[in-house]
Amino acid sequence: MVEQVSPLGSAWTPGRHGNLAGEAGVVLSETRPGSIVQAAAFPGSEKAVMAAIAAATGLALPDGAGGGVATDTKAVFGIAPGRFLVIDQVEGLADRLKPGIPVETGAVTDLSHGRTAIRIAGPQAEWVLSKLFAIDFALAAFPLGAGRATQHHDVLAAIQRTGPDRFDLYVFRSLARSFWTMLVHAGEEVGCEVR
Amino acid sequence: MSPRRTASGGRIDRSRSISFRFDGKRYAGHPGDTLASALLANGVSLFARSFKYHRPRGVIAAGVDEPNALVTVLRGEVREPNLPATQVEIVDGLVAESQNRFPSLERDVGALNQLGGRLFSAGFYYKTFMGPVAGPLKGTRFWMACEAVIRRAAGLGRAGHAPDTARYEKMNAFCDVLVVGGGPAGLAAALAAARSGRRVVLADLDPAFGGALKWSGELLDGEPAAGWVAETISALAAMDNVRLLPRTTVWGYYDGNTLAALERVGDHLRDPGKGAPRHRHWVIRAGHVVLATGAFERPMVFPGNDRPGVMLASAAGRYAAEYGVLPAERFVVFANNDSAYAAAARLREAGATVAAIVDVRPDVSAGARALAARAGGELLLGHAVADTSGGRRLTGVALRRFDAATKTLSGEPRRIEADGLAVSGGWSPAIHLASQAGAKARWDETLQAFLPPQPDAGWSGAGAFLGHASTTAAFADGLAAVAALDGSLSDAVDLPASDAPDLDAAPAPVFEIRAADGRGSKAFVDFQHDVTAEDVRLAHREGFVSVEHLKRYTTLGMATDQGKTSNVAGLAIMADARGMAIDDVGTTRFRPPFAPVSIGALAAERFGELKPDRLTPLHDWHVEQGATMYAAGLWHRPMIYGHPGETVEQACVREARAVRDSVGIVDVSTLGKIMVQGPDAAAFLDRVYTNLFSTLPVGKARYGLMLREDGFAFDDGTTWRLAETEFLMTTTTANAGRVMQHLEYMLDVVWPDLKVILTSVTDEWAGAAISGPKARAVLSACVAGTAVDNDALPFMGIVHGAIGGAPVMICRLSFSGELAYEVYCGAGHGSQVWDALMAAGQPFGIVPYGLEALGTLRIEKGHVTGAEIDGRTTARDLHLSWMLSKKKPFVGSAMMDREGLVAEDRLQLVGLVSLDGQALNGGAHVVEHGDRTLSGSIGHVTSVCFSPALGKYIALALVRGGKTRHGSRAFISDPLRGRFGPVAIVSHHFFDPEGSRMHG
Repeated sequence: MVEQVSPLGSAWTPGRHGNLAGEAGVVLSETRPGSIVQAAAFPGSEKAVMAAIAAATGLALPDGAGGGVATDTKAVFGIAPGRFLVIDQVEGLADRLKPGIPVETGAVTDLSHGRTAIRIAGPQAEWVLSKLFAIDFALAAFPLGAGRATQHHDVLAAIQRTGPDRFDLYVFRSLARSFWTMLVHAGEEVGCEVR
Repeated sequence: MSPRRTASGGRIDRSRSISFRFDGKRYAGHPGDTLASALLANGVSLFARSFKYHRPRGVIAAGVDEPNALVTVLRGEVREPNLPATQVEIVDGLVAESQNRFPSLERDVGALNQLGGRLFSAGFYYKTFMGPVAGPLKGTRFWMACEAVIRRAAGLGRAGHAPDTARYEKMNAFCDVLVVGGGPAGLAAALAAARSGRRVVLADLDPAFGGALKWSGELLDGEPAAGWVAETISALAAMDNVRLLPRTTVWGYYDGNTLAALERVGDHLRDPGKGAPRHRHWVIRAGHVVLATGAFERPMVFPGNDRPGVMLASAAGRYAAEYGVLPAERFVVFANNDSAYAAAARLREAGATVAAIVDVRPDVSAGARALAARAGGELLLGHAVADTSGGRRLTGVALRRFDAATKTLSGEPRRIEADGLAVSGGWSPAIHLASQAGAKARWDETLQAFLPPQPDAGWSGAGAFLGHASTTAAFADGLAAVAALDGSLSDAVDLPASDAPDLDAAPAPVFEIRAADGRGSKAFVDFQHDVTAEDVRLAHREGFVSVEHLKRYTTLGMATDQGKTSNVAGLAIMADARGMAIDDVGTTRFRPPFAPVSIGALAAERFGELKPDRLTPLHDWHVEQGATMYAAGLWHRPMIYGHPGETVEQACVREARAVRDSVGIVDVSTLGKIMVQGPDAAAFLDRVYTNLFSTLPVGKARYGLMLREDGFAFDDGTTWRLAETEFLMTTTTANAGRVMQHLEYMLDVVWPDLKVILTSVTDEWAGAAISGPKARAVLSACVAGTAVDNDALPFMGIVHGAIGGAPVMICRLSFSGELAYEVYCGAGHGSQVWDALMAAGQPFGIVPYGLEALGTLRIEKGHVTGAEIDGRTTARDLHLSWMLSKKKPFVGSAMMDREGLVAEDRLQLVGLVSLDGQALNGGAHVVEHGDRTLSGSIGHVTSVCFSPALGKYIALALVRGGKTRHGSRAFISDPLRGRFGPVAIVSHHFFDPEGSRMHG
């Protein structure tokens, strides 16, 4: 199989940026999962789609808007009513999901090339993301595993909290380089390490 | 040692010295000083020249309310004008200069304006620059002739032209309680809210928290107040649920309890942190807001009240107590209320002489008398300052007897030598944010002040903001504001007891001291805009009696300070002139911002970079190949791949020729792509497209047209049926977002019963179009897993295979009119597939082409794009009526047959051929007659190119009558660019009208 080329190109500059004092406030990386797939349910079929996701990935989605769950290699979270973003480090997730979601129930859409996964981790992750997104990143308001669909001006972003100090962001591939550049810039105040 | 610096006291750090420049002269100050306090400490009394009269002005206030002492701070080449010197913290190497003076602050030729005092009164411009009714200077022309001179003579600071290289950022914050103001009321509220577990943000515009406790000199439980403030701040700072924001001005109160604040992160630092912003714009969404914004002291209006050395009593006391600076050596204190007595005592304790305390009231409280005794000097009750003397510095004041009931002066003036006059005309609560929140202020007769409106659920007030002047009351208010919140389980918060004396909070209702004969110096109401008491009365005489008219006619309360020191006195004088109560005259509402905000902070991370760059997977390849890129919306697309020495037209012609002669390749990844999935997908497409898609077989594509609901053409593109219930829709690059919105709206609102799921997959696929007679040969050479001959892949057919090891989807369709294929692959594989196609095309001389050639090829074919589907054209105008299905209704079908949309004389698509061999211009008019005027316009040019296939300049145009004019001649006229010339009107199908090439 041909390897995906990262959209970040020359904007990916590993090393320390901005404030050099002490520990880096944030660490940025591109996680490059093999599969990013949207599983969508028609109204009334949400539970069936959640069950299909659980069957294909082993991830049990909690009820409620923006709920989600993440492990080291897989993740799923709600991005809209009846819509879930399912991520797997292994390729081919769309094909594994399709049998469980028949046409009458919903649809599986492969976005593995169309979205870029960016991880921001570190003690200042909430602070840096708060510069760009008008949502509350505090743990109480944005619990572990939960997801949010939001945007920074023209850049739509689906964000999942995958750790107390860690968030995974899914942005449109074509805007990823611009967004990444801005994220590094925003992280410079607290010291930003690119890996 | 600075001449005016006290030996001890204040919160400045005397162990360190800071060097700065003002108007080119070097001065020294200490950390903790503002520019105002440091200059005062150096004996500087002249800070500025006034707006209109260029009068010498000193500093009046010690805070954000300062109207006079505006300076420009220079950071390298960057100028930041109109900063109150009271708000500028000094830092080593600071460079500031005064404003509105020439050639210097000391010797300012503009001061001649004072001689024309009457001339420059309110309404001066409106009356003087009406201009004669006839002649060269009629109407506003006279004004326009004078404007440049006047603008230079009047005004504030001058902005620079150097680009600002500083960084600005935005921050979104959420909290349960936002406390605005870090004085005693705010600190009490923050403590109570924080101890009850709430998320708290505490903001104060000063560098240090504490408010008046920083300079009041009172003891709390027997200890200096500063100690309690420091303990409280460190306790708050240690709590995870509290964010402290010093140097942060909350300036806007918007709907939904959203507040805007400006944090000055780096202005006070000599070396700002690497990557740190200079200013940060905070957007704070607060569950509840406690407004503890304090109050502003008001000056009194009396003749000569603007001489340098006249200042607010609280400011004089604050300079002495907070900064260890005596603004003058020998003070007279002039008041209508008790608070000035405390300031007098503070000045005395710091080492100044208080020559006299002059009070308009016939009697004062015991507390005030005790303070007067501490201050020393004469206590002159029932007196007022009738005038002052001095040039660039106050030298003395003239006192007369004053009857507060009749507001009249009497008796002979008595002169007292003084270089400082500390004035208090009462206090105005800083109700700005509450006013912005929506409600009307309430006039309080006792306090002679506008109090905040009754609070709503979103906010409550505390302390001096409510008119409660004492620390004890402020503490109680702060606790009460939090205790009143729903579900409050606050632990008891013990607050210390203040030793401050009880004073009478009510001032005498005296705002102006006015000689019966109107003689004496000018008496200013608004210092920043040079509005005098006489200007207010003039406005009244001329009929501008409403507060809104008063403001606009006199400019009272405008400009950077927004009348913080002047509004109430102005209203009081107008009320007096009208014989009405102040409450009945009313007041203007406040609007954001409370204090000036840097535009850079509002732009934040978009400063200098307005929009993100949207890049295709092949972007880097284009750039490496030397393509000239240009912006198409957010996208960057190749215009041409120019060779050295080629013009744009030459490169475009070379690229287009290659497509017609051999083969070319173009990046079409930017096309909008929407996945349409679900059992009702085909039915949905039948409704949104004018033509049928339910009849399209799997594995085939069809060209589709969408109309708007009003019947006009909206967008076009091909849609591919990938499976029975799965379609890949493509849209034009420019309209992708709009089409998605339109479809989602129809699905969510109009046809919620349809089972369809829409997903934007624009970025999922990279697309390359291979066009030209050799296109099939190129594909054959590199595609695995499928045949691409005419049987396997007929026109509008789709096949799946692999190129360069990556899965691809190939559709045979043509925008150029040649045999052409669009190859789609996963975006992450885009560059590998493109490289493989280039390699396979090399034997055939494959040429990459840009948007210019793409446009040329489609114009030759008469294909329309956004230039023709411009929101005003119908399907019929564009000769697409064959696409309007009669078998079904669709969006727009009900409206497309309206009379106006089917009229014979509509502008319709035609082709134009230049007859003079010159290029045609997009936007040029098409005229019938042979002169350059546009009166005979019959339409306009939409798209132009040089056609390599025809060897002529051609264009698409929208022309009245359309096809009926084929074969006729006309002219194009473009007066803007000076182009006029003959054209032939022809069919828009310039090249291969039968389509034999693409079907071959």
